[in-house]
Amino acid sequence: MSGGWLNGRRARIEGDSPAIRAAFEAAGAVLAGEGEHDIWVHVAPPPAIRPAHELTHGEWRASLDAGLDRRFLGARDFAEQCRARGRGGAVLFVGAPEQALGADQAAAAGALGNLTKTLGVEWARDGIRVNSILTHETGETLGHLAAYLVSDYAAYVTGAVMGITLDD
Amino acid sequence: MPVPAHHIIATPPPFEAPPYPADIFAGQAVLVTGGGSGMGLAMAKAFAQGGARVAVAGRSIERAREGAARIAALGAAVHAISCDVRLPEAVASAFDEAEEALGPISLLANNAGANFPVLAENISVNAWAAVTRIAIDGTFLCSAEFARRRIARGEGGAIVNNSAQYIWTGFPGDAHSAAAKTAQATMTRRLAADWAPHGIRVNAVAAGFFPHADSVSGRRDEGIEPLQNMIPAGRTGSIWEFGWLSAMTCTPLFGGLTGQVIVQDGGESLRRSLIMPDFVAPRERAEGPWGWQ
Repeated sequence: MSGGWLNGRRARIEGDSPAIRAAFEAAGAVLAGEGEHDIWVHVAPPPAIRPAHELTHGEWRASLDAGLDRRFLGARDFAEQCRARGRGGAVLFVGAPEQALGADQAAAAGALGNLTKTLGVEWARDGIRVNSILTHETGETLGHLAAYLVSDYAAYVTGAVMGITLDD
Repeated sequence: MPVPAHHIIATPPPFEAPPYPADIFAGQAVLVTGGGSGMGLAMAKAFAQGGARVAVAGRSIERAREGAARIAALGAAVHAISCDVRLPEAVASAFDEAEEALGPISLLANNAGANFPVLAENISVNAWAAVTRIAIDGTFLCSAEFARRRIARGEGGAIVNNSAQYIWTGFPGDAHSAAAKTAQATMTRRLAADWAPHGIRVNAVAAGFFPHADSVSGRRDEGIEPLQNMIPAGRTGSIWEFGWLSAMTCTPLFGGLTGQVIVQDGGESLRRSLIMPDFVAPRERAEGPWGWQ
């Protein structure tokens, strides 16, 4: 039903989400490994739920690396590539809700949300849109919503942070 | 200032290419409040593009009929209804009339609203009541009427609310609408929780600036062209992309989506700098409280 949303678009998905992969392919996207791409999606794996006083600094850092630092650096590289090509693009961050897990996730997701709002404006005139889905959902709605947000149908959606389910 | 030529502007597909198939709402009927013009008409057209039958409710039956004619031109079954959404009895009878004409209403778009730039101290009691109650009471009354009917039938449904981009920041020069539009967004989440057990989804689109023939904003001699460069996205919104996102939230493609408020504003609500032009109090702005009407 989402056929055509991403026809001819090259998308790179970092991290694992079968629903997003399936929805992108159904929408006509080419999933690219390396090389130029129009869409960059980063899916962070949810860290384990652990009370903050039981987290080692190493575990804390690993969550923040995956949930924040890698996303910023990857988005920055993608945006640089878009500018070099003179083309717009779409960034989508996908992960768990802010308060769903431990303090590491709360910090990473909060930072990511405001980063999303910031990059969405900084790169708006490069035609690069930046959005986030922070959710428990892993099924079809996630795939379809992700495909919609990186498609031209969401050309006026940027800097938006949203969930999917009631407890997101 | 025009948008510099080297900037890249993301644009949506044309109105003729909706994001969903023409039968995605087949067999369903939607009621759109304030559907005769502007953003409500855009919502109504988007539902019609997905095959829904469309009830257009409006305080002015003439305007509702005008909108209904334009929706009918897309090939949809339509029915125009006069309704003041602030009155529970009027809402109930509007649903009665809509269901008699089009069958059970399984989709609802709460769009009815009023808005105009005015200093807080100049908002009359009547103006405050009109703007806040059309949006706040109207959304509640229409949603509750809809839900009671869906629950009685043992069937789910979907509601979408037309909120605004300024709901999390305040809107100096527009206190009545600032309050009203945030209430719509925050009740969205709670209504979704109340009705999740009944399969009724409730979402909102917090819309930015989508100029249309009846906009209060952007009504100026030069038209809207000079306003494009104030939006980070480099343009004001195209009214059909708002209609599409609203309708999309009600499709089975987004079947798991509920309680969400999606901001669609081209980054308008997010633009700020540490150093900005001098602040001018709304009452001292040369062109009125919004600064440009």
